[in-house]
Amino acid sequence: MWDNLTIREAVEYAKDPYPSIRKWIKDKGKKVVGSTFADVPEEVIYAFGFLPVTIMGTNKPLKKAPSHLPDNACSLARSNLELVLSYEGDLFDGFVLPQVCDTTQHLSDIWRINFPDKYVESYLAPRQADRPSARYWVKEEITRVISSLSDWSGRKIADKDLWEAIEVHNENKNLLKEIYEIKKKNPSSLTNKELFALMKLSQQVDKAELNQSLKKIKESLRYEQNDEYTNVILVGITCDPPEIYDLFDESKLNIVGDTLLVGTRYIQGIVPTNGNPVDALTERHFRRGFFSPIHDNVYKNFEEVKTLYKETKAKAIIYVHIEFCESQEYDLPDLKRMIRDEGILMHTLDTEYQTLSLSHVRTRLQAFFESLKGGSL
Amino acid sequence: MSEKLTSKQMSKKITDEYMDEAFHAHENGKLIGYSTAISPVELFVAHDIIPIYPENHAVANLTAKKGAELCSVVEGMGYTSHLCAYARSDLAYRKTGITVTKGIPEPDLFLACNAQCFTLTKWFQVLARKGNLPVFVFDTPEYVMDKKTREEIVKYCVLQLKELIGFLEEVTKRKFDYDRLKEVMKLSAESSILYRKFLDMAQYKPSPISIFDALIGMAIAVYRRGTQECVDYYQTLCDEIQAKVDQGIGVLPKEKEKYRLYWENLPVWFKFSDHAKLLGSYGGVILTSLYVHAWSFEFNLDKDPLVTLAENYVSRFSNSTIEDRADMAAELFKKYSMNGMIMFMNRSCKAVSFAVPTLKEILTKRTGIPALVFESDMGDQRFYSETQIRTRIEAYFETLDRLQFEDTQ
Repeated sequence: MWDNLTIREAVEYAKDPYPSIRKWIKDKGKKVVGSTFADVPEEVIYAFGFLPVTIMGTNKPLKKAPSHLPDNACSLARSNLELVLSYEGDLFDGFVLPQVCDTTQHLSDIWRINFPDKYVESYLAPRQADRPSARYWVKEEITRVISSLSDWSGRKIADKDLWEAIEVHNENKNLLKEIYEIKKKNPSSLTNKELFALMKLSQQVDKAELNQSLKKIKESLRYEQNDEYTNVILVGITCDPPEIYDLFDESKLNIVGDTLLVGTRYIQGIVPTNGNPVDALTERHFRRGFFSPIHDNVYKNFEEVKTLYKETKAKAIIYVHIEFCESQEYDLPDLKRMIRDEGILMHTLDTEYQTLSLSHVRTRLQAFFESLKGGSL
Repeated sequence: MSEKLTSKQMSKKITDEYMDEAFHAHENGKLIGYSTAISPVELFVAHDIIPIYPENHAVANLTAKKGAELCSVVEGMGYTSHLCAYARSDLAYRKTGITVTKGIPEPDLFLACNAQCFTLTKWFQVLARKGNLPVFVFDTPEYVMDKKTREEIVKYCVLQLKELIGFLEEVTKRKFDYDRLKEVMKLSAESSILYRKFLDMAQYKPSPISIFDALIGMAIAVYRRGTQECVDYYQTLCDEIQAKVDQGIGVLPKEKEKYRLYWENLPVWFKFSDHAKLLGSYGGVILTSLYVHAWSFEFNLDKDPLVTLAENYVSRFSNSTIEDRADMAAELFKKYSMNGMIMFMNRSCKAVSFAVPTLKEILTKRTGIPALVFESDMGDQRFYSETQIRTRIEAYFETLDRLQFEDTQ
């Protein structure tokens, strides 16, 4: 189903992957295990023969979530809760839910209480990352999740199963990386929206199948440089709704670097292939940038973004702020100051899940983009 | 400590001496460690680091109705209005110097324990960046219900406490004294038992204390635990409350005490006394909350100090599952014979508030007691609607009256 997608189809599937997932599981007779951002090792779920699906909100109206989480809760958390309570809950046989911040901690509890008949396990991600105990804890948690999935499914997995899963996931990330590299140098080869749709879909459908499509898509890309484009960097957790990318595309802005979870932080997660698989998955956790902004060290973020900006010869940084993400909100004033002190142009884009009208975003972004291209604000 | 002092006098003396020592810490070769209110501060005390709690200072300012003024300032600095009011008012205090106390001394290091919430960690990181100072994050994963996982969590926390000791040794260039830690733990355990005894006196009818007394009496448990003066203070407090019990003195006279209430969440600090008076006029006394119980630790002195520290700090109500929180609250309902509950959705404290709707559902189902839910902010008056909240409180008591009337028919 996902092994022969054109890029246009991939964008459509990425917008709403659930109908295709329904059909796929019916055909394959497999179970679906959902997860939210971040850090849950999806390779482990895959190794058990389940389909790991990262839940990334819904554009449909909020009906039930507001009675569980108030309006000052992270919009992604509310949107995810709505998706499972009102729309797609029946699709999932179980969930492995990461706890990375105060909101996700409660979300796990609320989820468990609302789905008493489903498998619900927590993945207790370390919320400190610089000391040896963090590494100890990640390994413990991966081992515990394996044991929990084993108890639920009644089957055991061998190292071989994990290595096979790792191989499929690594291939997926390598393919995305290669496509991203082509796009950076050949901005007209595919749009920003298309690139990030591939990143999103990769986290929601069967990768063994999607990899076949990615290979074909990669081969079909046109290699031509185009000087009309202006390079920019995208910083944040996620960028939603995907129509925001259209605004970049319309203004011929080429995203040449990012720190998004549905972007570079995901493809950085290639697992080393030596040693034993649990150690390798643990090691990956510390090699890539952490998924949660809870870990963000503003100095480190600043250096990362500055390096990206310089290496890619970008003209500006666009920071995507998801409303009510406390972690971002404590760091943003200092990060903004550091970036501006460096003389780098930065625009902050305030967005939230369930955003339906982009008119205010469009006006502000267009004004900023015009100034980038020599106009004035 | 003179035996003649009342608990109120003792509290003032302890606080004055503590702050005086803190302001002169560097002159005496000591360091100031900023700490979250729930954190294994016993390690600081044992290592002669003076703990300072920016939250306590924030409470003083917010209770004195400085919240809106301070929070407006911080919004001008680029922070959003929905962050914790403690953090917002503190960051504004750093910029303006506005305070109703003498302020607090500047930090040398930070200890952030996320058993309480993660927002404190981010707030401390902001402060640490300003002075380029070291921060230690003591990560306490949610104390999930599975027994085996709990054992693993405690192991992880013990590992981190060892790392914390290494961190303290590195910052102070002094070796940690484990024997001294044992002494501190003994005092902390003693004062915790007495603190709980004080809270539990709300079981009497009429209750000699309300939650407002508990909140005032809580301060010393927060910032002086692990010291002899803390033990002495709670002994005196317990003796005083016991004397009230013996004389039948309640917050409300026995015949007027109609509703014995549970409070969920932190208080609305700037409405502290107004709420006590308003509820009292309806015959209501708020007896307790999980919040005030957060410092009634049960240290087991037969265990390795680091193990009992880890077990206690990781299992605070704020770091427990909603189901466990419901169990803890239900136990209080039973123990204190409560017949009403006020659930405060506090915009400032997401860590506690996001559980409230689910908790309310579980508790009303289990106890059969209706709940009053209202939304506001613990410190920023701009989010408090006087008329709306007063109307809700009035309507709630009317409901309770009606139910009581129906029961008697």
